Amino acid sequence: MALLEARGLTKRFLGVTAVDSVDLAVDTGELVSLIGPNGSGKTTLFNCVTGYLAPDGGRVLFRGRDVTGVAAHRIARLGLGRTFQLVSVFPRLSALENLLTFLQQHQEESVVARLVRTPRLRRLEAAAVERALALLESVGLGARAHDPAGTLSYGQRKLLAFAAALMPDPDLLLLDEPAAAVNPTTIQQMKEQIRALHRQGKTVLLVEHNMDVVMDISQRVVVLDHGQKIAEGPPEAVRRDPKVMEAYFGR
Amino acid sequence: MTGVRAAGWAGAAVLLVALPWLVAVALPGQERYVLHVAVFTTLYAALALSYDLVVGHVGSLSLAHPAFFGIGAYAAALLATGAAWPFPAALLAGVAAAGVVALVLGVPLFRLTEHSFAMGTLGFALVTQIVATNWVDFTGGPLCVTGIPKPALGALRITTLPGFYWMGLVAVVAVGLLYQRLTTFRLGRAFHAVRDNETLASAASIDPLRYRMLAFVIGGAVAGGIGALYVSYVGVLCPGELGVSLTVALLVMVFLGGVGSLRGVIVGAVAFTALPEVLRMAPTWRMVIYGLLLLVIVVRAPEGIEGLLRRGGARRRPASTGA
Amino acid sequence: MADLVEQLVHGLTLGSLYAMVATGLALMFGVVRLINFAHGEFYMLGGYAFWYGYRELGLPYPLAALAAVGAMGVFGLVYERSVIRSILTRTWHVQLIATLATSITLTNLAILVFGTQPKEVPTPLSSAVVDVGGVRLAWQRVVVLLAAVAIFAGLEWFVTRARLGKAMRAMSQNREACAVVGVDVQQVALATFGISAALAGAAAALVSPLFNIFPDVGSLLTLKAFAAVIVGGFGFVKGAIAAAFLIGVAESLAAGYVSYAYKDAIAFMVMVVVLLVRPQGLFGRRIGI
Repeated sequence: MALLEARGLTKRFLGVTAVDSVDLAVDTGELVSLIGPNGSGKTTLFNCVTGYLAPDGGRVLFRGRDVTGVAAHRIARLGLGRTFQLVSVFPRLSALENLLTFLQQHQEESVVARLVRTPRLRRLEAAAVERALALLESVGLGARAHDPAGTLSYGQRKLLAFAAALMPDPDLLLLDEPAAAVNPTTIQQMKEQIRALHRQGKTVLLVEHNMDVVMDISQRVVVLDHGQKIAEGPPEAVRRDPKVMEAYFGR
Repeated sequence: MTGVRAAGWAGAAVLLVALPWLVAVALPGQERYVLHVAVFTTLYAALALSYDLVVGHVGSLSLAHPAFFGIGAYAAALLATGAAWPFPAALLAGVAAAGVVALVLGVPLFRLTEHSFAMGTLGFALVTQIVATNWVDFTGGPLCVTGIPKPALGALRITTLPGFYWMGLVAVVAVGLLYQRLTTFRLGRAFHAVRDNETLASAASIDPLRYRMLAFVIGGAVAGGIGALYVSYVGVLCPGELGVSLTVALLVMVFLGGVGSLRGVIVGAVAFTALPEVLRMAPTWRMVIYGLLLLVIVVRAPEGIEGLLRRGGARRRPASTGA
Repeated sequence: MADLVEQLVHGLTLGSLYAMVATGLALMFGVVRLINFAHGEFYMLGGYAFWYGYRELGLPYPLAALAAVGAMGVFGLVYERSVIRSILTRTWHVQLIATLATSITLTNLAILVFGTQPKEVPTPLSSAVVDVGGVRLAWQRVVVLLAAVAIFAGLEWFVTRARLGKAMRAMSQNREACAVVGVDVQQVALATFGISAALAGAAAALVSPLFNIFPDVGSLLTLKAFAAVIVGGFGFVKGAIAAAFLIGVAESLAAGYVSYAYKDAIAFMVMVVVLLVRPQGLFGRRIGI
């Protein structure tokens, strides 16, 4: 059973079919990249799978369970973490608080308990702070833990978003263009982080335009064009696939 | 908390509680007037805090708050006069009535986006006022509900101005504590996450609807409670109290003082209530000034007085080293 | 039966008023994505301008009407330059509060200047009655309806043929593309406000002979016009016009047959029902005016 599966996934917008009957499966522990020219439907696919868009057709299964059309916050709660193409942080919260926000919902507590601040909750919070600080260190943001996220540079915010997605220890991580618009050092960092996750047995699906990154770290590559899956396989095989070259460069 | 700060808080508390005596000494002959303004200030401050929960912390621009204030006020007033309910019961009824309406209304309202939500809440406020004015059999309409009894809890009765002032003080302290509890720690983070980036909040497993509803219902319920307290002081309730002027008043208090800040909102409420009394302006001129003030604040200084204070404080403190 | 027809005609008159005001709101939202909370005050000020021209200066009706339209057009331009410019790039919270604040200021200034007593501006046509098959209607109502039709036809011509109008439509569909192509975005925004305000002024000049003018007339009107915009599908002018007539007729029928006191709640109720059943509005999410 695949960890994540999209079966015949379809999404239309105002007459345009952004995702056309796509089948995609990601097994536990895999590191898969989703590539394709601009407008091929990659982010739309992401949004359908993570609950931000309701598909017009097909199904999404997470751990064998049908989560088609389930709300985003519920899917996240099931153990599916993601980052966004336009880097998203909570600007007024500190870097540390950003990470804490991602963990708290996974520790069920009633509103009353949170109002009263039970001792158990305080202990959980203290442990969360420890974990968050460690994560921030691992992405090199340890020194900025208490600075508002809005004051960080673009690359730092990207790393912060990445760390935040990791905070609840998700089983599946979806990264939307982690290497976009950042300097080579940060890209290197990102690659190392993703590889480390893979080694830990985490499952990663990433959308990426940077071919070096894709070829370098992926186990398997899936190619979309105009909403349809046109190729799939190990990086080297996909690179040489004539259909893929046509999609990117034309005839 | 350091010793100095604790002493400061204690000192302020003593001053606030002792206000009636201080006024009697400092402004003899003016006690009635000053204390009357003080009662209104405390009640308005509590109301503004309940409004800020919704607008400032979860970011829902609701214009329905006067309606919840009114629903609580009418519930308490009608039960106290018509069914002879004792004060504590009437107060609870006010809170419950407003809270339930907020809950029922929130469900469809929060399906609306942004502008539509704001307009929906405004429409609800207007309809509430229309109903209050026209359902004469029930609310007395423009003839108002009169003879609302003063608060009594067993042998304890509040009949004097200082008594009402202390009631208001208790109210604002209680609401302030609730506000503080709700807007910090995990709940505060959840609210702020929904306010600042709803999409990202969802990715963090936070259900935006749930938290918007929570703030909306609590804010509405508290507003209803303040309404019940208000009518027990004024003794009379007319439909005009639920009008758009209260909406404007709340917006000015919250934005003038500092949206999303406990200290700011209280400062805003004090400034808003005390200042016009000092300046003795005619009501219409007052509204013109408020309108212009609100316009200027929201365009030029959206963080209000609190923002100006913070920036001033930051300048005075030496710059911290950091990456 | 005659009674019903009379109520329907009243409803169409109301609908014309709401439609003209709602069109302005829809135009502003469509072109610059801004909800003008003070829009009802455009109508109110237009009414007073008309009253001043007709009653105080003694101008003949058409001239007074044109003066009101012109005055509001200018006011709209001034308003855009002063208030709107500073909030165009801000969040919708700021825009809503800023325009609400303007609304409050204008309403209360009107109280100070004109007093709270409503102004009546009857014209010969508002008392002259035409008898159509047993139904007695004031001529003014006919004028309102015909004028409204003419205005909407003119507007349609404007956005399809006139250069400025086409620019407005283009901006409502894709603002970024317009800037790239060389459309003067600032100028189009300015013109949009001038036109929207002028429309409200026209509504005031047409309808004031039938209804009274008072400082607070704008607030309920804003809400009803907004209801029409929401029901018609945000920013879609034709939808707003259709919805406005629907609301006008519903309100008139409700006032006549259900309860006069609660008639003002009808617009809100229509809005709530539509939003619950079809949140994207009666005509769906359209792009562009």
